[in-house]
Amino acid sequence: MSSPIMKASGLEVHQATDVTDSQITLEADVVVVGSGAGGAVAAYELARQGKRVIILEAGPYVPSKAFTEDFTDSLQTLYQDHGGQANSSGDLLVLQGACVGGSTVVNGCVCFRTPDFILQDWQRDFGLSELTEAELGPYFDEVERNLSVHDNGEHEIARHGQVIREGARKLGWSTKPLRRNIRQCGLTGHCLSGCKTERKQSMLVTYLPWAQAYGAEIYADTRVEKVLTEGGRASGVEAVVTGQDGIVVASLTVRAPRVVLAAGAVQTPVLLLKSGLANRSGQVGKNFACHPSLLVAARYPQPIYPWRGALLGVHIDEFMHPDKGGFILEDGGFGIVEMTMLAEPGTGEPFMEYMANARDLAGLVTLIHDHNVGTISWDGERKQIDYQLSEADFPSMKRAIKAAARLHLASGATEVYVPASDRRIIRSEDDIDDQVDSLENAPQHLRMVSYHPQGTCRMGADPLQSVVKANGETHDVAGLYVADASLLPTSIIVNPQITVYALATRIARQMA
Amino acid sequence: MKDKNRAPLPGYLAGLEPLSRRGFLRTTVLASAALSSGCASLFGRKDAPETLEYYSLQPDEIDVITRLTEVMLPAEQFGLPSSTSVVPTVKNIDMMAQRMPEQTRDLLGLGIWVFNNRPMVSFKFRKFTSLPDDKALDYVNAMQEGAFFERGLMTTLKALIALNYWRDSRTWPGLEYHGPVTETWGVRRLGNAPLPRA
Repeated sequence: MSSPIMKASGLEVHQATDVTDSQITLEADVVVVGSGAGGAVAAYELARQGKRVIILEAGPYVPSKAFTEDFTDSLQTLYQDHGGQANSSGDLLVLQGACVGGSTVVNGCVCFRTPDFILQDWQRDFGLSELTEAELGPYFDEVERNLSVHDNGEHEIARHGQVIREGARKLGWSTKPLRRNIRQCGLTGHCLSGCKTERKQSMLVTYLPWAQAYGAEIYADTRVEKVLTEGGRASGVEAVVTGQDGIVVASLTVRAPRVVLAAGAVQTPVLLLKSGLANRSGQVGKNFACHPSLLVAARYPQPIYPWRGALLGVHIDEFMHPDKGGFILEDGGFGIVEMTMLAEPGTGEPFMEYMANARDLAGLVTLIHDHNVGTISWDGERKQIDYQLSEADFPSMKRAIKAAARLHLASGATEVYVPASDRRIIRSEDDIDDQVDSLENAPQHLRMVSYHPQGTCRMGADPLQSVVKANGETHDVAGLYVADASLLPTSIIVNPQITVYALATRIARQMA
Repeated sequence: MKDKNRAPLPGYLAGLEPLSRRGFLRTTVLASAALSSGCASLFGRKDAPETLEYYSLQPDEIDVITRLTEVMLPAEQFGLPSSTSVVPTVKNIDMMAQRMPEQTRDLLGLGIWVFNNRPMVSFKFRKFTSLPDDKALDYVNAMQEGAFFERGLMTTLKALIALNYWRDSRTWPGLEYHGPVTETWGVRRLGNAPLPRA
């Protein structure tokens, strides 16, 4: 094989604007559905081994240089349903990337390995005996090396992280720098709008150009509608190519003996349900978990400038183990849009005062180990995300809010804003229990956001209780694989991108 | 797309009866849907509000949104540009509404109508637009602490208004918010990462 040739910047992508035929048929060894964390990694690994790989991405190709660093605009161009993907109650935004590179383009770069105790749960409860720390360790090492994952240096811990770290020290809580996949962070604070300077090591600047260097072809604007089978084996996919104006310009069929689904934990089960495949267990679309998170903002007596510097600096892992609470806190910067939507300081003058003093705000993001109680369904015309915080998880959520409030106060905050629909402000330790204990686990009471949907095609040894084997192949359909966060049998508490990279690497190598 | 669980939306609004639970619930995702509609084209809009024409919002809807904007964003008291006479907050919402899918636009209209007309004894059944400042504020706070669909509707309308005010770059200097920076700071692009070593 000749030496791979890679573009210095950007990708060669087939887009709707390039289409000249209304019907397109292609052939490949493997067709990969989705170009995010799972799809890009699988595509690279397979292309590197000489396979003819085609990647189909429903979203558009937006090159880094076109990113606007405006979150409102980025929701329109880079996110699933233009930032409007929500549960059926409308109180949980499920934010996923929907562009070439998927959620890796718009995430906050945070990298955690799958916690050991989570792997032990998977071994014990789902028969995934081979997914041990020792087995996955080399995969973690490799993807972390490839993606320049490192502990934040001191210069990458912005003012908001510094004050939070100091507060945690006073409380004696374990605090660590976050690990991030970024090279020479530009400290612009615009991670959620894509990294314009190509420093975030998203799939857009790593595994996708690498896959392309080994011959993989990428098709954007191409939504897969059906997985094809012949004789019980996967045989390809059918898709439509749609322009940015919403008009379908072509139908596209890829004939391939292997199909890898990596469209994310909402779209992958939808595709399987639409295709009527791999659901002998009845578990496709079930077991949705999402780390429902809250942004707990607080006001400080000095300027913080929450939009300045690296978006995420440190985290508090004191309560990570389920026996100690089952949640983590991440210090999080935020911009104007998040500020207006995620706190309820009041209406009129209180709200204007809150905004006018925005430079004095800092935020903490709560992530909890939620149970897999949600469902993704397809009614023949549209998808639906049914998820309400379970009664079992509500105490964890309240503990996380209380911990965030305590930490803010210890860090010097004068007011902590409980992210509820009604105005709740904590000004001292004495306020915490009153303001948090009276929260109700009811629709539209908490302002939740999920960046981590998972669990909807879970792995397991039992074909009657799970959708996918430990090697990523579905129990029911030979040659049909899943390689995204749908696989995760339980929520993993922490940001899942490294887990997905490692599992996708392993799946692709075992497939080859 | 058809929502089989919701009664057909009326072309006109004649009361609360046509509203199903689902209709209310879906209204609450308008904030995020609204984010998606026409944001880019509005970035940096400088039109003076009095010169603006409205293409989607109806006059009564404009009245409600304008009144809620006045109640919610008394910006000048804080040295910020007026939310009604400088920043075209309501026009920005109108531009969003133009680009909404029909069903979403219907729901927005429904939500605005319900918000303005929802009968509440404590407000003597007056429309929101006819309430004096203090009562208008009380009404917003009451909705905020109300039943789940009231909370959702109020959260949605407040988000719509806040976003369409603070998206205007003229509001940023007052917050010391820097907005986009890469080009201003001259941060260079690094390009694609090198291929991993085998």
